[in-house]
Amino acid sequence: MGLLAILRKLKSAPDRELRILLLGLDNAGKTTLLKSLASEDISHITPTQGFNIKSVQSSGFKLNVWDIGGQRKIRPYWKNYFENTDILIYVIDSADRKRFEETGTELGELLDEEKLSGVPLLVFANKQDLFSAAPASTIAEGLNLHIIRDRIWQIQACSATNGEGVQDGMKWVLKNVKRCK
Amino acid sequence: MRLKRFLLRYYPPGIILEYEQHGNIKNKSIDLLDLKPETDIDAVMDEIMSKEPLITPSRLEQVRQLIQRLQEKLAQSDDHKFYLFKVLRAHILPLTNVAFNKSGSMFITGSYDRTCKVWETASGEELHTLEGHRNVVYAIAFNNPYGDKIATGSFDKTCKLWSSETGKCYHTFRGHTAEIVCISFNPQSTLVATGSMDTTAKLWDVQTGAEVSTLSGHSAEIISLSFNTTGDQIITGSFDHTVSVWDVRSGKRIHTLIGHRGEISSAQFNYDCSLIATGSMDKTCKIWDSSVGQCVGTLRGHDDEILDVVFDYTGQYVATASADSKYVSHKHSVNKTRTTHVDYTGQYLTFNPQGTKLLTASADKTARLWNPLTGECLQVLEGHTDEIFSCAFNYEGKTIITGSKDNTCRIWQ
Repeated sequence: MGLLAILRKLKSAPDRELRILLLGLDNAGKTTLLKSLASEDISHITPTQGFNIKSVQSSGFKLNVWDIGGQRKIRPYWKNYFENTDILIYVIDSADRKRFEETGTELGELLDEEKLSGVPLLVFANKQDLFSAAPASTIAEGLNLHIIRDRIWQIQACSATNGEGVQDGMKWVLKNVKRCK
Repeated sequence: MRLKRFLLRYYPPGIILEYEQHGNIKNKSIDLLDLKPETDIDAVMDEIMSKEPLITPSRLEQVRQLIQRLQEKLAQSDDHKFYLFKVLRAHILPLTNVAFNKSGSMFITGSYDRTCKVWETASGEELHTLEGHRNVVYAIAFNNPYGDKIATGSFDKTCKLWSSETGKCYHTFRGHTAEIVCISFNPQSTLVATGSMDTTAKLWDVQTGAEVSTLSGHSAEIISLSFNTTGDQIITGSFDHTVSVWDVRSGKRIHTLIGHRGEISSAQFNYDCSLIATGSMDKTCKIWDSSVGQCVGTLRGHDDEILDVVFDYTGQYVATASADSKYVSHKHSVNKTRTTHVDYTGQYLTFNPQGTKLLTASADKTARLWNPLTGECLQVLEGHTDEIFSCAFNYEGKTIITGSKDNTCRIWQ
C-alpha cells in the first residue's frame, strides 16, 4: 500500500472507481467484512487500531473500501476519512443488543455530517449466523431508518463469516452508485 | 574579501569558507563530492587553488590537513550493525512521515491522530505534542540545518509552523483548497513550500507568515516537491505526469519536464543541482539536465510503478523503489548506466549520508539495509506489526527511525 498509494486513493475517484467507507462500533465485524469482500482469510482478525484499505473489482467497478477502526477513543477520528466518499456502509453487530443505542447514536451523528450529506447508506445487520441476532427489520426500526429523507438507504441482513447476504448488499451498492455517478 | 575561518563538512565532503566582505560575514562552500580516500591530494589542492581566490598560499597547509581529515572519514570502515533501541508507542493511530533534525538529537513523527510529536532520540522521551490540526498530519519537516522550527502539512488543508524548542505554534498558513501532502523549508530557512492535492504549491514567509507566491500550472495533484541546494529553484512532481522547475524569487516556471507517461511519484535534485531524477507510475525513472530541462536518460528495469527515487550525494547513483519486488540502484552517467537489481518490494527509500547504505521501508513490515553497489542485503530490521510507511537516517548514519501503520515508531542504533 504505502503512503503514495493512500494519496492516490484520496483523489476524487474516476468514473469506474468508488470510494466506500466502512464504519461501525468496535467488534461489529468491519474488517471481517472487508476481508470477505476481498476473498481473504478471516480466521485471525484483531481489533483495527487504524485503518485497512482494499480494492475489489466488481461488475466493472473498482471498489476502494476503507475499513476504519471503531473503538471509542478513535471514533472522533472518523472525520479524517469522510472526503470524497461515494457510499457509506455502516456495520452493526446484530447480536449485541446492549449496544444498539450506542450504535444508533453514532450513526445519527454520521448522518448529520456535512461531508457525508446525501451519500447513500447501506446498513449491514451483521452476525446473522448467531442465534441471538436481531432481525434486520427490528434493527431498522430501532435505528429509525425510515425517517431518513436526505439520501437513499438500505438495510441488509448478513453474516461476514459465512458470506451470506454480503453480495446482496454489494449489488445494492453498485446499482445505486450507477445512478449517482 | 578576507578569509575568517574554515569549517569542515563531512557529508557530503566539503570545506566551508567563512569570510568577511564589506563588514559582513558570509559563507561559501568548496564541494569535494568526488573525493575518495585514495584521491591524490596535490591534484585536489591545485584545483582548489586555481578556482578559489580566498585560499592564499599561507593557508595551503591548513587546507591539506582538512582534506586529509575528510579522506580519513571516508576511509572509515562502516560495518555498523543496527539493533532495536526503543519502541515508542507514539500515536493512537497510524504514523505518516518521520524526520530528524540535523544533529539527530531530535526527531518528529506525523500521524492520523492529527498530531505531530517531537522526540528526544537519546532517551526516547516525548518532548512536545504539536496539536491544532483538524485532520491527518501528513507532511512534516525540520528547518535543517538550524532545527529550531518545524513545519507540518495536513489533510485539513493548512500548514503550521512551530517552535521545536517550546512546541509553540508561530503561524497557520491558510490558502490551499485541498490536502497538503508535501512540505519543505528552503535551505536558508526563510521560506516554507507546501504542495497540495489542489494542484498548486505555495511559498510562505517564515518570519511574517504571509503567502509569498502560488506556483500554479499543474493540471493534477502535486505530490512531491524539493528545493535545490542553493534554494533558488524548486521542483514539483505531479499526477499530471510532469515535473515543473520554478524560480523561487519570481514564482515563475522555468521548465516543464515532459516525457513520462504516468503519474510522477517523486522528483529530486542531485546535490550539485545539475540533474533532476524523476520516478513515475510509467515504470521508468528519468534523469534530466536541470539547466535546460531536457531528458538525458531513461532508466528502465522495473516491471511495475516506481514509488520513490533518490540520488546519493555524488549524483552518480540513483536508487529506485518499485511495487514490482525490486529496488534498483543505477550508476548513472550521461552515456552509460550500470544497474544493480534486487528482488524486493520497497515503497520508500533513502541513502545514508555517507552514500554507503540504502534503507528501504516496506509493506512486508520490515526495513532493510542494502549495499547499493552489490545489491547485497546487509540487515533486516524486523519487529513492526504492520507496514512501514517511512524511515530516516540521522546525519551520522548511526541511528535509524521507522514509522509504521502499527502506530509505533522504532529507534534502531
